[in-house]
Amino acid sequence: MPKLLVCYKWVLDEQDIKVRPDDLSLDSSRAKGKISDFDRNAIEAASLLVEAQGGTVDALSYGTPAVKLSVKDVLSRGPNALKWIGDPEADKADAFVIANVLAAAIRRDGPYDLILCGEGSSDMFYQQTPARLAALLGLPCVTFVSKLSLEGDVLTATRKLGDSTEEVRVTGPAVVSVLSEIHKPRIPSLKQVLGAAKKPNEEIAVGSLGLSAEDLKPRAVRKSPRGFLMNRKNVIFKESDAAANVAKLVSSLAAEGLR
Amino acid sequence: MSIHLTEEQALIGQSAREFAKEYLDPIAVELDHSSQYPTAVVKALADHDFLGLFLPSEFGGAEAGFVSLVEVIENLSRSSAAVASILINHSIAAYAIQRWGKADQKKAYLPALAAGKTLGAFAVFEHGPTPGVGPDALQATQQPEGWVLKGTKAFVRNAGVADLYVVLACTDPAAGGKAMAAFIIDAKASGLTVGAPFDTMGLKGCPVADLVFDNVIVPATAMLGGLTEGQAIITETLAVASIAEAAQTVGIGQAAVEHAAAYAKTRVQFGRPVSTLQAIQTLLAETATDCHLARLGLHEAALLLEQGKPFQVEAAMVQQFLARFGAKMLVDTVQVEGGFGYSEFMPLPRLFRDIAGTTLLEAPADYPDQTIATALLA
Repeated sequence: MPKLLVCYKWVLDEQDIKVRPDDLSLDSSRAKGKISDFDRNAIEAASLLVEAQGGTVDALSYGTPAVKLSVKDVLSRGPNALKWIGDPEADKADAFVIANVLAAAIRRDGPYDLILCGEGSSDMFYQQTPARLAALLGLPCVTFVSKLSLEGDVLTATRKLGDSTEEVRVTGPAVVSVLSEIHKPRIPSLKQVLGAAKKPNEEIAVGSLGLSAEDLKPRAVRKSPRGFLMNRKNVIFKESDAAANVAKLVSSLAAEGLR
Repeated sequence: MSIHLTEEQALIGQSAREFAKEYLDPIAVELDHSSQYPTAVVKALADHDFLGLFLPSEFGGAEAGFVSLVEVIENLSRSSAAVASILINHSIAAYAIQRWGKADQKKAYLPALAAGKTLGAFAVFEHGPTPGVGPDALQATQQPEGWVLKGTKAFVRNAGVADLYVVLACTDPAAGGKAMAAFIIDAKASGLTVGAPFDTMGLKGCPVADLVFDNVIVPATAMLGGLTEGQAIITETLAVASIAEAAQTVGIGQAAVEHAAAYAKTRVQFGRPVSTLQAIQTLLAETATDCHLARLGLHEAALLLEQGKPFQVEAAMVQQFLARFGAKMLVDTVQVEGGFGYSEFMPLPRLFRDIAGTTLLEAPADYPDQTIATALLA
């Protein structure tokens, strides 16, 4: 029976993040957490695979201590067990750190026949974690997956590329990152929500993973995220002659630097 | 979100919201136009355990409690209060059987109600001023072959689609409304017919019709509770319904204020978004406040109910509050959106019609003021 792992990130819901109009800084003080969108697709893909052919799905997440809030949510969506690493420094972590921590946890509790991730996280969307994870674990990596099947240890995946698709076959174990169209995430039933509390979950201390300070030092430093506001100029050209209106529009655009 | 919510209750609310976006948003407008009962959506409600939400697990329910129920109803109502109405009427019929049913009745009916194999309806109102009074009041007469029911129940929601009805009938014409008893009636019972559907102002898609009983014979075992418990069943079950309907009203109000706020930010008048005008801000702020206060009140009432404590006064207070401010939420949000908000291609007219229904129907037998004043003056 295959043993699957799905990695997910607990992110702030972007719908709750406000842009302060004075300095365009972000106000996330009232933002709730959620499972990153693509990761929900990965959770669904992993859950459907084991529901169809047996096996187990573990979930794994690295984040700030707030990741604890995701325990029942993620367990209500299919996984059999959860391991999570809450680290106060995780809000500064880049893909380098995230991949190091996840890889260390997988080495500790693996091996897994298949490791699934979302293509990118809803907050940063670096799209680096799956590839870095595969490199650290010495596994093949299949990205942009829109269709997936597993027979024995042979994984068949359809990759959605810019203007074409590609079918690949990989002998596992492997790391796979999935797109949103792979499967629509389930809406947990009430019994699944209430049953989540009965599934095992374990907190792993980041200090127990044997990582060095260098492993946990972000290579990319986020300086100052800023919102983007599009301010309309609200200019109306009111000439009765359409040609005159067009001429005025063209000169106005030219004055703005459009050539 | 209320301060009362546990992690599970919040997740159940989240599931209901996801459900509403997936299943209700795509059909809400069409449902309002067609009034067509949404069979597939009701099946999906069952698949997600919403139809057995608070029923005990021994009967297949999720046993999630009444705070979860109001969270679910609010979140469904933000998309379609009509579908929430179907759930509410089913739920109060199930509540009555769970609360007053004998062991064999619970065993016979609750598993199918929890699984959604059976849809329930609660039939209490009549064309007369109160149940048990009036020319076509439903009368139950004890005969050797069982109870014989004759008369009409009016404005029954889920009428024609329900598989069983919990109906209140008068057992003594001389005593009128003081001699009420409840019965569990199979929808296929001989002599029971469903009247023509009412074309209602709102909540379209939740069927409403009369039930006509023409000498319907039911065995003594069909009686729910005791011979003299009908009035207590009416009062308590409708108080439960009033909490659920308060959640429905809050859900509609929340949807309205969110839509109006979003619209106000994009609608430009006098060279700036109308959201910058103080008059608009006041309307939005008052509506959001009314919504929030009602939510706190109904969560308190639901928590008391869940804990088995007296809840009727708190439920009546929420109902009284929403009787005053429920429709006002829509008056004010339509005002925010102006002429466009008044147009049928915007959602507020539908919400306006729906909120009229949620603040009118299934009212407790006693007016809320009377319930509150009686408790105050006792």
